[in-house]
Amino acid sequence: MLGKHTSKYAALSFGLILAFAVYLLPGFATDAFAKEAYAGQAFAEDAFAKEVQAQEAAADGEGEPEIEWSQDVFYKDWEGNPLKGPVSGHPAPELGESDYNNYEFAPSRMILWIANQQHLYFGSFVLAVPIFCMLIEFIGIRTKESDPIMSEKYDRLAHDLMKVSLTAYSWTAILGGILLFTFITLFPGFFKYMAGIFRPVMHVYALMFLAESGVLYVYYYGWDKMKDDAFLKWIHCSLSVLLNLIGTVLMYLANSWATFMQAPGGIDEQGRFLGNIWHVIHSTLWNPVGVHRILGNIVFGGGIVGAYAAYHYLTAKTEEERAHYDWVCYVAMFIAIFGLIPLPFAGYWLMKEVYAFRQQMGITLMGGIMAWLFIIQAVMIGLLFFGANSYLHNSMSRVKGSHRYMKYAKYMILLLIVCFTMWMTPHTIVMTPAELKVMGGAQHPIVGHFGVMSAKNTAVNLMITCTVLCFLLYQRSNKIIKVPWATVGNCWIAAIFVGAAINIIFLGVYGYFLPANQRVGLSVPQVTSTLTTLFAGTAINISMFKDSDSYGEITWGTQSKVGTYAIFLLAISFTWLMGLMGYIRSAVRLFWHVTEVVRDNSPDAYTLTIGEAGKMLTFNTLFVWTQFVVVFWIASLTAKKQAAKAPEGVPVPAQQQQ
Amino acid sequence: MLPEQQDILWTFLTLAYTGFAFFAFGNVVKHCRDREDVNTKLWGGIFGVLAIISFIETVQMFDLTQQEQITFFFKYQILTVFVILLSWGIFFKSQKIEDQSPPLIRAFFFWTTVSVLLAGYTNWLPQQRSDPPPKNVAVDLDMTMEEFVEMGRVIVFGAEQVAGSKSIGKGQCPLCHTFDPGDNIGRCPNLFGVQERAETRIKEDRYLNSPFAIGEADPATGVVKGKPDQVEAGYMRDGDTGTLTGEDYLRESLMCPSCYVVEGFGKDGDTKSPMPVISKPPISLSKVELNAVIAWLQSKDTPGEFANVTVPLPSADDAAPAEAAPAEGGGDDRVFVTGTESIDQMINTLGCPLCHTIPGVEGAAGMLGPILHEKTNALNRIKDPSYKGKATNAKEYVRESILNPGAYVVFNEEAGEPYPDGLMPTTFSQMLSVEALDKLVDFISETEAPPEG
Repeated sequence: MLGKHTSKYAALSFGLILAFAVYLLPGFATDAFAKEAYAGQAFAEDAFAKEVQAQEAAADGEGEPEIEWSQDVFYKDWEGNPLKGPVSGHPAPELGESDYNNYEFAPSRMILWIANQQHLYFGSFVLAVPIFCMLIEFIGIRTKESDPIMSEKYDRLAHDLMKVSLTAYSWTAILGGILLFTFITLFPGFFKYMAGIFRPVMHVYALMFLAESGVLYVYYYGWDKMKDDAFLKWIHCSLSVLLNLIGTVLMYLANSWATFMQAPGGIDEQGRFLGNIWHVIHSTLWNPVGVHRILGNIVFGGGIVGAYAAYHYLTAKTEEERAHYDWVCYVAMFIAIFGLIPLPFAGYWLMKEVYAFRQQMGITLMGGIMAWLFIIQAVMIGLLFFGANSYLHNSMSRVKGSHRYMKYAKYMILLLIVCFTMWMTPHTIVMTPAELKVMGGAQHPIVGHFGVMSAKNTAVNLMITCTVLCFLLYQRSNKIIKVPWATVGNCWIAAIFVGAAINIIFLGVYGYFLPANQRVGLSVPQVTSTLTTLFAGTAINISMFKDSDSYGEITWGTQSKVGTYAIFLLAISFTWLMGLMGYIRSAVRLFWHVTEVVRDNSPDAYTLTIGEAGKMLTFNTLFVWTQFVVVFWIASLTAKKQAAKAPEGVPVPAQQQQ
Repeated sequence: MLPEQQDILWTFLTLAYTGFAFFAFGNVVKHCRDREDVNTKLWGGIFGVLAIISFIETVQMFDLTQQEQITFFFKYQILTVFVILLSWGIFFKSQKIEDQSPPLIRAFFFWTTVSVLLAGYTNWLPQQRSDPPPKNVAVDLDMTMEEFVEMGRVIVFGAEQVAGSKSIGKGQCPLCHTFDPGDNIGRCPNLFGVQERAETRIKEDRYLNSPFAIGEADPATGVVKGKPDQVEAGYMRDGDTGTLTGEDYLRESLMCPSCYVVEGFGKDGDTKSPMPVISKPPISLSKVELNAVIAWLQSKDTPGEFANVTVPLPSADDAAPAEAAPAEGGGDDRVFVTGTESIDQMINTLGCPLCHTIPGVEGAAGMLGPILHEKTNALNRIKDPSYKGKATNAKEYVRESILNPGAYVVFNEEAGEPYPDGLMPTTFSQMLSVEALDKLVDFISETEAPPEG
């Protein structure tokens, strides 16, 4: 699929699945074991034993217990009672006027928001690129024997991406410094409290940054030296794994500050640290946010690389260049969409944990002041699916043999439009009393039915299923299936998709007849149906390509302009959506720096109107892309310098001529 | 951004557009220099002027505030950009230049257009800003029960209601609860009829034993179930007798949601409530606020009628900071009349005869305060130029005098000076139920001097 031969499917799929397993497993495993078993028992037993010892010592007259014990705001012991821990920190401060500084030209909150968001965008990109490089380099190594030209192409792509990432890495560090200074100077009182609790984590974070830089430089600058020897190449590829592991730890450490602010643990009601740093790091949202961000980074990184390639595709001077960047566009989009499909499920997990932490926080998000932002999110997701499908349709049209499937494109678009309309229908809207009277209530008698979760879950699952189907058709568009069980295989694929659609719709309708608490449970089988189409459908589809004939190779370099701009649209949507969801996650704390513990007493403690937030999101999107353009331009200067080294007239080596 | 500040998006865009104007100027100059047949002065002049205009507009944008910037941007800057784009197109067409605008510029306009449309979409939606709730609500000791109940309603729903949308106040109750018959969003119980239910619930077996028995403490909050006399000091009801009432149940539900969980609305087999503790962060209602919510809950199903309200009005102690030590002797020995007593009993229990002479009440011949001939005196006092109260009739005047004696101090004509201010207690609001207050007001406002002879 990514190359010229069908044998790459297995390698690519294997690589992607392996990568997901590597990155998702720690999160799930940690959640399952550490949070419940480890935190729930080991710490509780330890804390209980210490408390009993202290009490016994006091009872025996060996001295007054010097340690004060207090109850954790989140963690519970095995009986469900609040876990106790020794008070090991100062109470949260009651912040006053002197704890906040400001500039005249903008509210401190906005400045911090911009600094934070810009750093996050770049951080996301530099964490995502090594994931791509790891995958692409791995595929390159695996295909070296069967297809040395493609192998070289993969290797060059991975190297080029790292080059861009290297410049972006320094940029990220600078933005991180700006963020830190913004935090210290504008919110000194709050930063003091956070630093008091996270002191060791902050130091470990800084040291991890050092390790990340070291591995990154060896990985990048050692590329050419380690390229030719097979053993050294594997070592080099292993370095990318190490780089990603360190990067993931870095991200998780930084996440702990944000998740602590949103849903704290490891402290008591007064905000006093209870002596267990793991509790503070591993607060309830830590794992879902971590997994969500890894997937989000992959999607966002794919969007950036896709836009980068799309831009170079538009500016390419030679056919070879156009073919190369067309192919890079496809690889980037493939990775982005692969990350996008499981993203809503990670989002479900995050929301589930939010509800488990505080129901009213979840409802503030889904039914309170943040509810409209989720409607906007729905619109953005709709845009993403339209963009992705538009790209696939346009890309498919240049594949020989695709005429067999192009006729279905219009029906898929129709389905997407219907689902999108349903997906963005609000439950209730703000109206004037006159409008309210005319409509007969806050909910429209007909359209209002599409505003509930039953309809929305159905719509989004159908949209994802439709995208999966579109992708499968793309995969097989130039194939003449030759396996003897082709009819059976096709029937199975059809049965899986039709079955999934029926199941999704049936459960959606059935949901209307169930009370809310039972209805929630229906989303699981709906999601399972969707995932079945993705995994089983893709597996059967790929299996059918064995010994297949081809109508002809994909004519790289002939991508339509609409397809190219669809990639731009995806890149903008990813960026804007990432900012939106980040804002929602952060703003749901409302007037708290740390939920229920440290109140935000600054003049900026209000929750913005949707319009104000939207303008900030647009600014952040445009600003970060301006910086990306500058970073890419700086990276391109190195490339030009290297290109200039080869004097004209020197014969091109035979291998490169291929 | 604050209204007096510049808007960051429009400021950014004006800079970007001026950058574009100079880029277009440079691009045209480059093409002119590459070709001999092009009128360089003309085209260079046009694009130079447009770039300068755009630059001046950007400078002007820095002198404007947010709202002015939006107007200026869409009125002038967009027009300039449009003229530049049009001129650029004419230049390319007229000179037959195939190269045209570079993809960077096209991508830039695609990017800004999509992003600004998204910002526009968010501004098209209904706008609602949410301010943080005040830390402590000021306690007004002159408050009537109607005002107190209204205070409770505002805590529940917020001061401003938006049509078609249930607005949410500091208490955040409507996030989960509904209040009208038949309205059920399934998150938490519908609170219609909660006043009556509270009275019966405390007698139900399930309440007595589930999820734990009366007298046991909830591990999460430390609240002892069914024991109003053991409620946290800062929230204990003034004048409580220790007997469990519907009001106590409501208070307990707010301060210890898991002390009793309505079937079907809890977690872990209806043993744990998802509801936050209302007296703790993030909601952190004070005692007065909590009582106001209870008062609203008790009266919401009978609009305008407050007979069901048993919760006392705020006292002077409530107005004091929460950290202040409780009054000496605690609150257990305070007087409280419910309104079921006879008027004589009520007046004697409250101690009015110690200071006042009250016609019709045996033994009420006190001389420290004015004689209560309010049927005639009340109206005269309202008309007195020195009267600063809010009453407009005798009943309102009497009510005001009971709850806020300092509102008008009567002049003692015999002594030639006013009666001593501050002598009359200000705590009657806590000693009277709404029914009792109404009864007392009705009686006193009809008092008049006995017929002579």
